[in-house]
Amino acid sequence: MLEDATVRKVLTAALATGGEWAEIFAEDRLTHNIRLEDRKVEELVTGRDRGAGVRVVRGTSSAYAYTNRLDEEGLLEAGRIASAALRDQPGAEVRDLTRREPGVIHAVKIDPATVERAVLAEYVRRADDAARSFDGSIAQVVAGYGDIHQKVCIVNSDGFRTDEDRIRTRFVVQVVAIRDGVVQTGFDGPGRARGFELFDEFPPELVAKNAAERAVAMLDSKPAPAGEMPVVVGQGHGGVLFHESSGHGMEADLIAKEASVYSGRQGQKIGVSNFNGVDDATVEGAWGSFQFDDEGTPAQRTVLFENGVCTDYLTDLIRSRQLGQNASGNGRRMSYADLPIPRMTNTYILPGTDDPDEIIAQTPKGLYAKSLGGGQVNPVTGEFVFGVVEGYLIENGRVGQPVRGANLVGDGPGVIAQIDAIGSDFGVKEGICGKEGQGVPVGNGAPTMRIARMTVGGTGGQL
Amino acid sequence: MSETLERIVERLAGEATGSEGVEAWAEQVTETTVRAFDGAVESLTSASSEGVGVRVVTGGRLGYAYTADTSEAGLRACLEEARANLDVSSEDAGNVLPAAAPIEPLDGLFDADQVDVGPERKVAFALDLDERTRSIDPRVTKVETAVYGDAVARVAIASSAGVRGAYSITQAYGYAVALGSDNGESQTGFGVDAARGLDGLDPKRIAHEAAERAARMLGAKKPPTRTVPVVFDQETAKSLIGVLVAGLSAEAVQKQRSLFAGKLGERVGAPGLQLIDDGRLLDGFGAAPFDGEGVPTQRRVLIDDGVLQGFMHNTASAAREGTTSTGNASRGSFKSTPGIAPHNLFFAPGGKDQAALIAQAGEGLLVQDVSGVHSGANPVTGDFSVGVSGLWFRNGELAEPVREATVAAHLLDILSGIVEVGSDLRFSAGSIGGTSLLIGEMTVAGT
Repeated sequence: MLEDATVRKVLTAALATGGEWAEIFAEDRLTHNIRLEDRKVEELVTGRDRGAGVRVVRGTSSAYAYTNRLDEEGLLEAGRIASAALRDQPGAEVRDLTRREPGVIHAVKIDPATVERAVLAEYVRRADDAARSFDGSIAQVVAGYGDIHQKVCIVNSDGFRTDEDRIRTRFVVQVVAIRDGVVQTGFDGPGRARGFELFDEFPPELVAKNAAERAVAMLDSKPAPAGEMPVVVGQGHGGVLFHESSGHGMEADLIAKEASVYSGRQGQKIGVSNFNGVDDATVEGAWGSFQFDDEGTPAQRTVLFENGVCTDYLTDLIRSRQLGQNASGNGRRMSYADLPIPRMTNTYILPGTDDPDEIIAQTPKGLYAKSLGGGQVNPVTGEFVFGVVEGYLIENGRVGQPVRGANLVGDGPGVIAQIDAIGSDFGVKEGICGKEGQGVPVGNGAPTMRIARMTVGGTGGQL
Repeated sequence: MSETLERIVERLAGEATGSEGVEAWAEQVTETTVRAFDGAVESLTSASSEGVGVRVVTGGRLGYAYTADTSEAGLRACLEEARANLDVSSEDAGNVLPAAAPIEPLDGLFDADQVDVGPERKVAFALDLDERTRSIDPRVTKVETAVYGDAVARVAIASSAGVRGAYSITQAYGYAVALGSDNGESQTGFGVDAARGLDGLDPKRIAHEAAERAARMLGAKKPPTRTVPVVFDQETAKSLIGVLVAGLSAEAVQKQRSLFAGKLGERVGAPGLQLIDDGRLLDGFGAAPFDGEGVPTQRRVLIDDGVLQGFMHNTASAAREGTTSTGNASRGSFKSTPGIAPHNLFFAPGGKDQAALIAQAGEGLLVQDVSGVHSGANPVTGDFSVGVSGLWFRNGELAEPVREATVAAHLLDILSGIVEVGSDLRFSAGSIGGTSLLIGEMTVAGT
């Protein structure tokens, strides 16, 4: 995308006023998004976006300028604007550029750009048919497919360059079920850092059935109880809980500012002895995976908890230097228009040894949160919340009455300490995580697990 | 940029052939953001970008494509992509372009002085905000981030149906997240202000709001689970209104995903309750002379005296029902087809301030922070359950802080349970205005 000679000129201009290091992030992205609703293919949108950002860094301060223009003149202008924030003599030079080779390949079998438009339309229609034939109560279906091909080029004055082609695909189905005046919704949305072969693993019919099943099951629900109780979180969904309760608090920008409940807790035992958690961008083809992060650091697996002990934080280049830790490859950005900040990739609680069915059988009374929606956390207090989209009461060790409208609240380290059963199974869920206005794709994974005591917020009174 | 936005969109609109309709929407944005932390600049971002979205309709079908490449070749490729995408879309009575209508200009969206504000003053604002926030309460010794941001933007639209329009806006905002600490415990507080230019911002107010909110939350505990009156403050009431937005879209009604479906002309809120969307109210950032497809904006009362009066329409939803657009077509950016959204949505303010609402309620919860709205509030089913923190009040006066609680109720029950709307209407960014709200009773879950 960019010539070495051009980037040297731009980086030299960027360092002219005293920056310690400078970087160019350039991207060119092509997207396709198709959406069906109300039995109609409403729209197919093709998008082309491109641009570059130039960053100049001194200590923990950065100046950033971006442009739509990828020619030398446009880039030089961005470099000059970014450097204008500093007023010193040049101190650093652009080193010889070495191209970094990726340590992991996320293979793409079918390039989405080669798929006929009519095939996309056929897939969303198949999902629509499958969801509607699942149950007579299905009143509305939204099915969407999206792909993105992002070409990224990163050049850093410290002497390295990365070039990466990232392809991601996702298929999403949302249904509305209505029976006797009761309305419920269901959702499923698998995504991968792979090509159109996504559908080999997740045929439209399967995704549609998952979404429809959830909505229909909740039609018979009663309002969820309120108060503290044991909560069993279904396979895969504990990953969302881990993401909110711990992952955000372990992002190094908040650690460096001492604005996280996890500040200064490295080396402390917080969870039970078989509690292990990682953030792993190297998982082949996973939704949150890449070859290099958005600062050119190779993808890595970072251990967050080992045998219940809080271990490493998630860093970007600035924070790793500030904290004197390794760059963990977690510097991510939504696009060329954004500064990179520490972010999660694929965040997993690793499987334990408990039989998932036994975890429920040995819970006399509580909530089975089979499926969770998105969540939110205040990393300073550790306080987090997320919605239960498919929940059931556990009565005498059995999954019983479906319940709706439940929210789970807790505080980060507190809830980790309360996890008392970890299943031997494992599943992942995909989502878009938002922080400082930037959305990036993240994977969350976990086995079935139990939290001994947690606040459930519903309208159905005490359990 | 080699050409003006107006030239670009007009040229694209002129490419329409035969019965084809072509509409082009172009944007150019110049933004600056300064983040300060601990007395130093953490980051300074400045940039400009532009892009064009092209909508093509023929025979009830729609095609859309966008590009950030505004060269001759880039624009031509974008139009061809839109045409090809049209071939696979379904026929829908909504796929038509609006006819041209006279647009009343709206003065006051653009502050010419703001364009000349240099980076030094923007940096100084953020540093000053950081320092101010740290000097208000001895327990607030840190500011997680103090931010100044602004944007100067221009949009232009043209269509083969004769629509022509363009306008420029300026926006500036500042916010601070204060960190209060005491006995090893930390709490955060948020303060924000927005205006058409830097000179319209009040850093003192932002700093005080942020510091005070952080300090008063120190020592917060989980409250017992109870059903009590709840007061949402100005900021958190906006989250509540935000959840109602989706259901007030006519498209959501047509597609059976609105909790207001079939309720037109019926009572959906407490007597006296008035919900207004005003596209021409300059206080809000949603003000504009025309909407995302060139239809003139207006002021509309959506709920009057608790009774649902109407829904928001864009051209597509209106065409499906044989009515006209209400000027509520929205564009997230040039990257999206026109959706439906309010301009400036708010409850008509009442006569009492927040303290009077608390005095009236006696004992209950004042909510100063909500979380998990995107997962805990379902605009289709009306289920509403969110995480909250704030202050308990009793005997009509503020008492101890509480955290890690949730409040839950059905949205329609909340609307009909609004006892008072506060007098403190304020727009601080975005398209929703906030007022304090007193809800008769809600379940607050804690221990």
